[in-house]
Amino acid sequence: MNNSIKSLLAVLFGLIAGAILMLVTGHNPIEGYMYLIQGGLKNPERIGNTLATATPLVLTGLSVAFAFRTGLFNIGAAGQMLFGGFCATAIGLSLDLPRGILLPLMILIGFVGGALWAVIPGFLKAKYNVHEVVSTIMMNWVAYWTVYYVVPAYFKGASLETESRQLPPDAMLHQQWLSDLFQGSYVNLGFFIAIIAVLIVAFIINKTTLGYELKAVGFNRHAAEYAGIAVQRSIVLSMFISGGIAGLAGVAQYTGNASSIQIGILPTQGFDGIAVSLLGANTPLGVFASALFFGLLYSGRGFMNAMTEIPPEIADSIIAIIIYFAATSILIERLIHKLKVRRIANKKQGEQDHVDNA
Amino acid sequence: MDYVVEMVGIRKEFPGIVANDDITIRLKKGEIHALLGENGAGKSTLMSILFGMYQPDRGMIKVNGREVRISNPNVANRLGIGMVHQHFKLVEPFTVTENIILGSETRKYFFGLDIRTAAKRVEQLSQRYGLNVDPYAKIENISVGMQQRVEILKMLYRDAEVLIFDEPTAVLTPQEINDLQEIMRKLVSEGKSIILITHKLKEIKAVADRCTVIRRGKTIGTVDVAETSREEMAEMMVGRSVSFTVDKTEGHPGDVVLEIESLNVKNSKKVNALKSFSLNVNAGEILGIAGVDGNGQTELVEAITGLRPIESGTVVLKGKKLNGLSIRQRNNSGIAHIPEDRQKRGLVLDYTLEENLILEVYNQPPYSKRGLLRSEAISQHADHIIQSFDVRSGTGGSSIVRSMSGGNQQKAIIGREVERDPDLLIAVQPTRGLDVGSIEYIHKRLVEQRDKGKAVLLISLELDEVLNLSDRIAVINNGELVGIVKSSETNERELGLMMAGYRKEEAAHE
Amino acid sequence: MKKGVIALISMMMSVVLLAGCGAKPAAESGGSNGGDAPKANFKVGMVTDAGTIDDKSFNQGTYEGIVKANADFKMEYKYLKPAGTTEADYSKEIGNLYDAGFKFIVTPGFKFETAIFRAQDKFTDAKFVLIDGIPHSGEENAEPVVKENTVSIYFAEHEAGFLAGIAAALHVKDGQAGFIGGMKIPPVEKFNWGFQQGVNYANENLGTKLVINKENVVYQGSFDDVAAGSQLAAQMYDRGVNVIFAAAGGVGVGAINEAKTRAQNGSEVWVVGVDVDQYEDGVYEGDKSVILTSAVKKVDQAAYDMIKAEIEGKFPGGQSITIDAKNDGVGLPEKNPNLSEDIIKQVNEVFDKIKSGDIKVAGEKGDLID
Repeated sequence: MNNSIKSLLAVLFGLIAGAILMLVTGHNPIEGYMYLIQGGLKNPERIGNTLATATPLVLTGLSVAFAFRTGLFNIGAAGQMLFGGFCATAIGLSLDLPRGILLPLMILIGFVGGALWAVIPGFLKAKYNVHEVVSTIMMNWVAYWTVYYVVPAYFKGASLETESRQLPPDAMLHQQWLSDLFQGSYVNLGFFIAIIAVLIVAFIINKTTLGYELKAVGFNRHAAEYAGIAVQRSIVLSMFISGGIAGLAGVAQYTGNASSIQIGILPTQGFDGIAVSLLGANTPLGVFASALFFGLLYSGRGFMNAMTEIPPEIADSIIAIIIYFAATSILIERLIHKLKVRRIANKKQGEQDHVDNA
Repeated sequence: MDYVVEMVGIRKEFPGIVANDDITIRLKKGEIHALLGENGAGKSTLMSILFGMYQPDRGMIKVNGREVRISNPNVANRLGIGMVHQHFKLVEPFTVTENIILGSETRKYFFGLDIRTAAKRVEQLSQRYGLNVDPYAKIENISVGMQQRVEILKMLYRDAEVLIFDEPTAVLTPQEINDLQEIMRKLVSEGKSIILITHKLKEIKAVADRCTVIRRGKTIGTVDVAETSREEMAEMMVGRSVSFTVDKTEGHPGDVVLEIESLNVKNSKKVNALKSFSLNVNAGEILGIAGVDGNGQTELVEAITGLRPIESGTVVLKGKKLNGLSIRQRNNSGIAHIPEDRQKRGLVLDYTLEENLILEVYNQPPYSKRGLLRSEAISQHADHIIQSFDVRSGTGGSSIVRSMSGGNQQKAIIGREVERDPDLLIAVQPTRGLDVGSIEYIHKRLVEQRDKGKAVLLISLELDEVLNLSDRIAVINNGELVGIVKSSETNERELGLMMAGYRKEEAAHE
Repeated sequence: MKKGVIALISMMMSVVLLAGCGAKPAAESGGSNGGDAPKANFKVGMVTDAGTIDDKSFNQGTYEGIVKANADFKMEYKYLKPAGTTEADYSKEIGNLYDAGFKFIVTPGFKFETAIFRAQDKFTDAKFVLIDGIPHSGEENAEPVVKENTVSIYFAEHEAGFLAGIAAALHVKDGQAGFIGGMKIPPVEKFNWGFQQGVNYANENLGTKLVINKENVVYQGSFDDVAAGSQLAAQMYDRGVNVIFAAAGGVGVGAINEAKTRAQNGSEVWVVGVDVDQYEDGVYEGDKSVILTSAVKKVDQAAYDMIKAEIEGKFPGGQSITIDAKNDGVGLPEKNPNLSEDIIKQVNEVFDKIKSGDIKVAGEKGDLID
């Protein structure tokens, strides 16, 4: 069975489960879903907002997926995203450069910031075998408190309390023609960053020796070592790239979807990235599609809320259930895999005997 | 006829396959009955059914003439059926007695265990069956052969009448094998009955009374071992005639390719695994390393290939010192390595066959250029190996390796390593777990490599394989080189003694 | 296979559980028409700030005001919960409410300032009530802009804090006080400064000796880290603090928990609650509570009043209103079982002096502890 069918099945299960919840709580699921979809896609502005909502999710999903392909569980996308976004914001607030130079610089610094945040756990893993789940989570909090301290101390806005100063227009991914195209939506250049990142990652994973190495390490560390691949270097490199992509999510979020960085909050997109990655079967295109789906859910939920009597908590539960089921595509996969392996193993025995006896 | 165990018309189906199809095996009281079959023929399934781990779909099991339903291993135990597993199930820091009573401790004493009574009984059993086990010895301090006897004692302690031995000789030296066979004879003479699961014909010949051969889940027949030749049984097992000797001419050794000089290596537990080990391997020869598992073979290979750091000593390949070089540098210097565990080291199971066949050379032209993989060259390479090494898979190069059979996985590795045209080919357990057909083929390829003037270092736990293939044999014991002999001038007995640590001269006098 | 079944069962269980939880709010939300009070011809929408609708603070206060208004005026109402805390997240929900016909929109918290700044221009036929903030563009040195369709409401938290300080000082008489804040934002800071001024006033004029040491004034940095709140409170009590003013949401809950544990073990420690009357939260035995009193700001009243004003055609559009002691919008709870009659009397006297302007409580730091 092919991956996309699996994911679609998972989504279908999720929608059914969500519908059951709506029914149980006395709401009309068809109406609910109709408004959910309308809320995300009814007019160009809403479509734009859906794309904008999906943008950081594409990137965090990609980040998690990339690490996963190398056998690493990067749970720290939130911290990497926050720190990458912070670095980009700091550049945007500090340097007065023409837009054509400033934006690429911010994107680059955002990437590097996120990457550095992930390299530390990567290094600890490679050198001292510290489990990356633990160290990336801890790095999340280091990022949280770093931003918490540095932003008010150096980048505080006069009229904003829990946020940095607003970025000047030239330092934002916001692009007027794009907003106009989507009739005032806050969709921005971040979406293109996401698309480009998807394409680049797909290329790296599938077409390059680097991707070959990283995947080999992910699938079987011992075999990679045997083949002469520098396993430790691959781990660090993989975390670097994964963190960098999460950093780009921060750039998209804080200098695109928002115009300043907030303190006291770890971006939820970092964690949603895990679910996005799972639903997307850890492939770049899959991640892109599943992030759009998540974006639609998050974006359309409020409208469903507003148009029906479904209260926000139930709406949240519905979304959570859909995500829960969607993320269990891996369960579906396991189930299918189990059945398949058994069948293949058995068939193989049969075939082998055939072959040997021939 | 009184049979202790009868399994009649047993059928067991797993989703998509029939593992056992109408198998019948009858065990007479006081006999050693061999169950012979290739890997995957259905031996394990059958014995798991007898031991209560699976339920048969059809068929009948009788114990002592009474039909029984064995729903779990405890029932099997109560019926007097015991199994000596291939991998021992012992607690290392416990004593022999503690291990034996584990799970059937004397319950009437609410506090503490009545070790002494138990130990006495262990002692008695040990003497009666000639097992010679010290009830108070700790498992971690006794040899593998002794540990196996503890497993046997465990069954006897639980009053087992029928003992199933699952591939019992895999971990033993030839001498230990002899001892085991002695014990088995003693057991049957005392009235026990034994089922011996194996694929080694020699052992069957040595010890079994009758032999049931199964192939592809079906009973091929039950024969009287004394009246049946090895060749006949082999033919029943694989379904065609098989040759047992490796065709090879006299070797023409050339220059030294690999020089190992007083090598010291630590194992994963930080204990010295190789002690001042020195060895030369020449071009145009197969040098076999004989030894009981765990005597430093793994560490030797890993030290040569770079997977494990060297404490002291040198490894020189064609005049080039390898110490300090990375694995890749060593690979590129002309070492190819068929690893011991093909699924752990040798293959990325979730990669396609194509991808696996470039595992060490993916970053070299023509397979990649400026960091980009070139799929055309990669598939050509794969097709070439698939053809010349007869690697069979579902969809050729694009098959996921996980879905391939063990024999074909191994052929793929051998093809990959041989195609790299190495000066030194290190083959570790190259035929482990493979069927007779694949073994023949792989042996031929190794000899071919030798005849091309390459050096081959063969490490195997199968003494027959080492004897048949090698030109010279180095025997390793406890990390030390016991001696080097010419395979044409030695025999299994001498090697066995050397494997146990006796020097060549001593071995000759034994 | 077995695992799969277990997973499936647990999923189904969670569906059922969630359904159970969901039933209540579903029944609550939405209003019905009818009744004889003046009927509203508009629908009231609310967007929550970060946190839940039952946060014992801003969201809850605002919502309760709306519910109360519904009891009197029977208008339709609804709240939405944004996915995040960025301006875009807030704007999206405001847009959703607008699209669904909810054109009287109440938003609690200064984080809505920039979102309302844009919404008041975008949705000119809607009305906005911004509590605890004033619309501005967010740019450097931006001037606040309150359009005709918007009201901005501030509270004089320092006055509530001041009264709490007086009460705490009078009750403890001789000892130490501490302050735990959530994030360091103006409403929390004003509580802090007011509290310190109140303690100082009592020390100078009412014969108390309540000391606030610098190390016992702490902003934890979040509103949700319960464990950290317990820890901070434990440290303060260990340093000899008798009463802690916790203006810190969930962090304050942690401080209350710590106080309850200590009170159960027989030591006399107090917490001063914030925003709403937190007496119930501090009950540890029978009806004994560790909550000495609470510095209350009547958010619910503000929301109610604005809805009422709109119905009566008196919506004070374009204005920025500060709710303080004068209009009874801040103060202590009506009932304070832990305070003696005498103390309540003295506090009320001070309250009157604030109302009359005899006492001026500063909303700035001055030379107080930060």
